[in-house]
Amino acid sequence: MTTLRFPLSRIEGHARVEMEVLDGQVKTAQFQAIELRGFRFFMIGTPAEQMPVIVPRICGVCSTAHHVASVKALEDVYQVTPPELASKIREVLLLGQLIQNQATSLFIFTMPDRVGASSLFHMDQDEANAEQQLSLAQRSLKIRQIGTDLITLAGGQFIHPIKAVIGGVTSGIKREAADGMLKALDEMLPVACHLFDTYWDMSISMKERIGTWGDDQPAFYIASTGRSHPSFNSDEIRVLGPDGTERASFPPRLFRSYLEYDETEYSYAGQSSYQGQVMRANSLARVNLALSMGTPLADEYLQKLTHTFGKPAHPILLFDLCRGIELVYAFERAIELLSKDLDYEDTAIPYTPHDGEGYGLVEAPRGPLIHHYKVKDGLIEDVEFIIPTVHNMLAIERALKVAGERYITPAGIDLELEKAVGRVVRAFDPCIACATQ
Amino acid sequence: MSEKKTLPSFAVLQLSGCAGCEVSLINASEWVDKYQLVYMPLVVSTHTVPDDTEILLVSGGVRNDEDVYNLRRSTELVDQVIAVGTCAISGGVANLGDRDEVRAMFTAQDNRHHLPHLLPKSHPVDAFVDVDLYLPGCPPTPELFMAALSGPQDYQAGSTVCVECGREKLKEMRPKHLLGFQQGEVTPDICLINQGYLCVGSSTRGGCRAICTIPGHPCVGCRGPSNAYIEKESQVWFDRVQKVFERLTDIPPDEINRALHSPQLSLFLFQFADYLDGGRPPRLKEKVL
Repeated sequence: MTTLRFPLSRIEGHARVEMEVLDGQVKTAQFQAIELRGFRFFMIGTPAEQMPVIVPRICGVCSTAHHVASVKALEDVYQVTPPELASKIREVLLLGQLIQNQATSLFIFTMPDRVGASSLFHMDQDEANAEQQLSLAQRSLKIRQIGTDLITLAGGQFIHPIKAVIGGVTSGIKREAADGMLKALDEMLPVACHLFDTYWDMSISMKERIGTWGDDQPAFYIASTGRSHPSFNSDEIRVLGPDGTERASFPPRLFRSYLEYDETEYSYAGQSSYQGQVMRANSLARVNLALSMGTPLADEYLQKLTHTFGKPAHPILLFDLCRGIELVYAFERAIELLSKDLDYEDTAIPYTPHDGEGYGLVEAPRGPLIHHYKVKDGLIEDVEFIIPTVHNMLAIERALKVAGERYITPAGIDLELEKAVGRVVRAFDPCIACATQ
Repeated sequence: MSEKKTLPSFAVLQLSGCAGCEVSLINASEWVDKYQLVYMPLVVSTHTVPDDTEILLVSGGVRNDEDVYNLRRSTELVDQVIAVGTCAISGGVANLGDRDEVRAMFTAQDNRHHLPHLLPKSHPVDAFVDVDLYLPGCPPTPELFMAALSGPQDYQAGSTVCVECGREKLKEMRPKHLLGFQQGEVTPDICLINQGYLCVGSSTRGGCRAICTIPGHPCVGCRGPSNAYIEKESQVWFDRVQKVFERLTDIPPDEINRALHSPQLSLFLFQFADYLDGGRPPRLKEKVL
């Protein structure tokens, strides 16, 4: 038995892939999370009201999702419903995260794979756009910066937000600040579309070169975005069958009735399934589960995708193209929201802390995220974090096996395998800090 | 590309952490044309620090044996080591795991096949290697990253978060009890302490532009104590916060004292003072940006 070990980069956190090979046959393909963060242990005993400020530190990439899920879990404990304005501001916050994350995944993590570079910062500078005098790297970072600016505008702190509080938000968004953000969004939306078009073309060329879009077998899909159009400040999880029919919809408090969870001895991250079946979360799941994006440009891209690949679509490299569609959607939706008044009274509703149990759900960029708290004597007595990357673990390993079988034969190992491993893992955009929380 | 070779080079070693520091560094996009990024697994596919690297930024705490190995190996190859963020400076949020009952839950996880082994607790970077500059904050702002790379000696910031915040302090608005960190609406422009919130911005080092307190969330001290307290034991710092609350509120000192020992504050406040108990000298303020 030969063991192949692949270090990973351009993903969030510390992980590696190991494949066991015997006589040219791939026996196992393991995705190993090699760090342990431990929030699920050390948050026990924390005063409940401090959770929304501490839990963003689970992950600096997904901090906004943890911040909002935490606030929603405590609102469920205290039985308080935030005012409409607070929900809108939280939506802006989650859109900021979506832009930041999808731009990072598209341009920093996966675009270098399209051209065989080691990083965005090492890609050929001849790509510089003569008209704008900006390199691909600079344009990509500017798109990403829009996401960061939205998070800062709606969340206060730029990495670990503080503005969502139990019962609402600390403050609205002033007209002047909203107008400044709108100007930047309007200016950068065409740049984002242009970059996404470039990315799309690069992806098509890469497919022609490598001859595959990766694991294209049907799977179950899980997401918590709305039926008619995306909604990231979500309240219900849905599961789509491999044939495209909806199999389940449930509130976060019932997740155990639908999802199974296991741990392995080779990874600090667990893995979950839909009743024993491989499921997929993240962009492709949301796109497969949505009737439309609900904004004009994003819907045009969605039609192009559906026209070419059908629906539900299954090849894993489509996760990346779906991230681009969501990037465009998030720009358009943020423009819609910020065009309206977000600075009226009633930012928060008073509440009385008491003991109890609560669940908070948001659709994070990587899929549905649940925080589950039990509060006793004002302290966290027990805590669970249900992490989107964990939902994808079985799907990642299945796709790694498909890649292994393609590039490993009794005659030898094709060196393209190492690149394929990177592409497979990055398609799922896993987050190891979250998965080992 | 040949021109790029002449740019100063830096590397980023990520130990156990949340990657928020790295995200903040990416937000500071001005370095892209001025520096050569030679190693940073989050964004670059190279697997080791090249041996002629000038600056090494280290983020995250030392949580497992692989962290120790990577840290020792990488720092030997570089000219200058900068500890970035609370986890690298003090172990950070992972310190909440340094309690008997929690530690047992951690060590129970450490039985997996050939994965890095967990240390009993999280350690700061300078428990293992010498550090030339500390960049505090959870995470440090993009502006601080640029200052650290290009010339920390020229960096100027307000002495405390309070100075940068500018909310008005009122002698006549005196709450009788603490509201904690957050509860209900926040009145704009009035000091959060006057409103009963547990804000420690009065002695937290400036440089963040008061991004939490201005929109209405109390400072939790993520940049650590200001220069006035950084080399002193934590009790001096506690007393100072107490005095501020005595001056602006009628909240009983006991109540403040209990609240100051909350986990949220302990993540950050002792990131410099913790060494006094550990038998090591405190970090010099000249080394802290």
